[in-house]
Amino acid sequence: MYQEWIDLGLSKGITDLQVFSVRNKSLKLSVYQGKLDQHVVSDVESVTVRGIYNNKLSTVRFENFSNLNVSKMLNQLIENAKALTVVEPAIIYAGSKSYPEVKDELFDFGSVPVTEKIDMLKKLEQHILDNEFVTQVQSTMYQELDTKTTLVNSKGLHLERHNTYAYAYAIGVFQKGEDIKTAYDIKLAKKFSEFNAKEMAETTIKQGVSKLGGISIKTGSYPVVFSNEMFADVLDVFTSIFSGEAAYRNLTPLKDKVGKQIAGTHINLIDDPLHPDAYFKNPFDDEGVACQKRYVVKNGVFTGFNHSLKTASIFKEEPTGNGFNGGISTTNFYIEPTLTSFDKLIIDIKDGVYITDLVGLHAGVKVVSGEFSLQASGFKIVNGKIDHPVKMIVVSGNFFEALNHVTGIGSDFKFNLSGIGSPSVYIESLMIGGEA
Amino acid sequence: MIKKTELQHLLTEALATGADFAEIFIEDTKSSSIRVTSGEVTSIDLGNVFGAGVRLISGLDEVYGFTNDVTYPSILGVVNNLRASFNGELTKVVKLGVKKPFTYNIKRPMNQVHTSEKSKRLQDLSKQIKNYDPRIVQAITQLLETQQKVLVANSEGIYQDDIRTYTRIILMAVAQENGQMQQAYEGPGRYMGFEIFDVIDTVALANEVAQSAITLLTAEDMVPQIMPVVLHNAFGGVIFHEACGHPLEATAVAKGLSPFVGKLGEKVGSDIVTAYDDGDVPGAWGRLSYDDEGMPTQKNLLIENGVLKGYLIDYRNARKMKMATTGSGRRQSYKYSPTSRMNSTYIAPGNDKFEDIIKDTKYGLFAKKLGGGTVVPATGEFNFAVQEGYMIEDGKLTRPVRGAMLIGHGKDVLFKIDKVGDNLEFGQGMCGSLSGSIPVDVGQPTIRVSSMTVGGSGGKK
Repeated sequence: MYQEWIDLGLSKGITDLQVFSVRNKSLKLSVYQGKLDQHVVSDVESVTVRGIYNNKLSTVRFENFSNLNVSKMLNQLIENAKALTVVEPAIIYAGSKSYPEVKDELFDFGSVPVTEKIDMLKKLEQHILDNEFVTQVQSTMYQELDTKTTLVNSKGLHLERHNTYAYAYAIGVFQKGEDIKTAYDIKLAKKFSEFNAKEMAETTIKQGVSKLGGISIKTGSYPVVFSNEMFADVLDVFTSIFSGEAAYRNLTPLKDKVGKQIAGTHINLIDDPLHPDAYFKNPFDDEGVACQKRYVVKNGVFTGFNHSLKTASIFKEEPTGNGFNGGISTTNFYIEPTLTSFDKLIIDIKDGVYITDLVGLHAGVKVVSGEFSLQASGFKIVNGKIDHPVKMIVVSGNFFEALNHVTGIGSDFKFNLSGIGSPSVYIESLMIGGEA
Repeated sequence: MIKKTELQHLLTEALATGADFAEIFIEDTKSSSIRVTSGEVTSIDLGNVFGAGVRLISGLDEVYGFTNDVTYPSILGVVNNLRASFNGELTKVVKLGVKKPFTYNIKRPMNQVHTSEKSKRLQDLSKQIKNYDPRIVQAITQLLETQQKVLVANSEGIYQDDIRTYTRIILMAVAQENGQMQQAYEGPGRYMGFEIFDVIDTVALANEVAQSAITLLTAEDMVPQIMPVVLHNAFGGVIFHEACGHPLEATAVAKGLSPFVGKLGEKVGSDIVTAYDDGDVPGAWGRLSYDDEGMPTQKNLLIENGVLKGYLIDYRNARKMKMATTGSGRRQSYKYSPTSRMNSTYIAPGNDKFEDIIKDTKYGLFAKKLGGGTVVPATGEFNFAVQEGYMIEDGKLTRPVRGAMLIGHGKDVLFKIDKVGDNLEFGQGMCGSLSGSIPVDVGQPTIRVSSMTVGGSGGKK
């Protein structure tokens, strides 16, 4: 089918084109108060066609594969290409010399009866409800996905990848007096047997109970330690500053910083599509370029931007295998951990804040300036130890300044589901807004 | 396309194992994005979302399935898969009604305006921003157009189509000086076609965005403190949307996850607060003729003079809550089961003049433009970023401030509103929730909240 579309496109005068198809089969279940609340099954294929016409590259996405619609879409692609005025490299890729091998096991989640999955959620909900501080479980969720990706282009490239996984979580509502907190912990699994309702409930309960009884703190600057998950979330928001597209479009302050010191000498930021701890591994990007491990920041020095085919050509560099979704993104991007345990990381802090929760990252961060101001909660650190919980505070600062004032990096490394990894990170000082 | 008789068969098949409600939603959506960077047309993308969603309900239990193969055998496959969840018998006869007319008054739909005309507008606006000041280093403009054709058929006889046309203009400026970068943004949208350019003064807006980025270059970092906050009209309404709108959706209320549960007829805010959610404001970004369950949209009173008057309710939650639907069933696409959502949500205008509200404030923050925000429904805690803010000192607007973050509790803030202006405006956004991302209006006149916690990185010693 894809080859026919390519032939049709070529016959219409498109010089080169690529068909990128993602087929997603999914099952989603939700249990609420011991009963099945949501049950969603789906099977959807979406196709993205990129084509070059008159040296201009344009993209169409569609889900209707009737001959009539495909032909219409290709005509539209040509019309859109004609309307582009910018002169930029337009490339459909012939392929990399070799592609890394991904040793990810596939699991047929469909082979496990739906009732077993529902039971797992019921148990998860019940175990959390059993805790004395839990007033209710707001929602539970189980989703399994089977994703097949196919890339075929007119340069003869044909690549495929297949991925299966499932995840589950439950959001518990915890209350102590007037104080209400929610907590959840997403468990991602490559096999159904990795789900253990009891363990998952315990993690959620531990998190929820620890947040209760929080009080605000006095406004002022404090040493701040971000938990591994929270620093990963912050890093996540800033990945676009390392993009070649942002450099080309004047949307990153790192534009003239290649080869320069942008962070403390102990900071290493790495993009590794095949990191063994990562949940998703990519042998190739959406343009067919082989993915590879790369230091983005080495010993505090910015080594260069992440590139797609287009930006690599503009900057006369090699593509880095970061061309995803028509733009540029990281694969598995992380800050390198050290051997310092968490206890040791905070031991010298007399009066500080440990942040375990940030809310509103999409709104409270200005990526180009690096400024952030975020609703937070966590714990007070007193005399080198975790003390009482704090809540309803705002932590503010500048990401670029913070990278130059990292006092310590922990060993408690973990990846989040969007492929950003971090250990706990200690920033010398940040502004905390709380009580007068 | 699937015929009416085929839909009737499919719905009957769906009820064969005891479900007491079945619904089929078919969608064909075209969307286009044209992007101009520094005066050059840099990308034009076209998208087509096409598929069918099937929903079965028995009592309060729901199953949902979807496919992009919109043929009778494929949808029947989904139906058979879903109905296996129930075991009972067919109890109902399905008879589809007649389609009712929907409002369609689009003057210039996306496929009837040539791309070159669209590009030219965007290029002019991009240049307008770029030439505003030498410190502007980047000007991005974008036109987002969507035409969503839907058809809803259900076992209660609803057989309704609708065509929704949305157009949005994005303007963004980046200013740079002394190694510092600041950005500003506007994104007006309407339920209309290319005639949006006739109703919005885009040139004035381009200048405003450029000026906003320049102003931010010299703004001081906000010093964290507790203070009165004057929230300006239009996008200032995001605070009501997040802190009160979401908790009034049946998704939160039916599960008891809202501070407004069981409070109908009770005082939930100060006397000067009246608020609506309206699904039928002509030309509004949050508008629809019929919701995604085939119900006509309507104007819903939420709060009247501080007293809670109503919720936003979809079909399934109406069963749970034993209340009527409010035309609020919405979804991003066929990939989502519909649920209760907002359309154009706003605080109704009051009597105060904008100038008087500022004059009356001895010391405080004027939040001219808000960025996004978040609320945790169970706790009611919310946060909002201030995109552009000014200090109010002795009843006058003085220094610009940046990086301010407002935090608080939804249930407190409504009571703390002590001024409501007469200058109601809407602001546009995409609202993400259970049933995906949908266009909504937020709105309000200028209001004052007597006291809020404001965060920021200023005043560091």
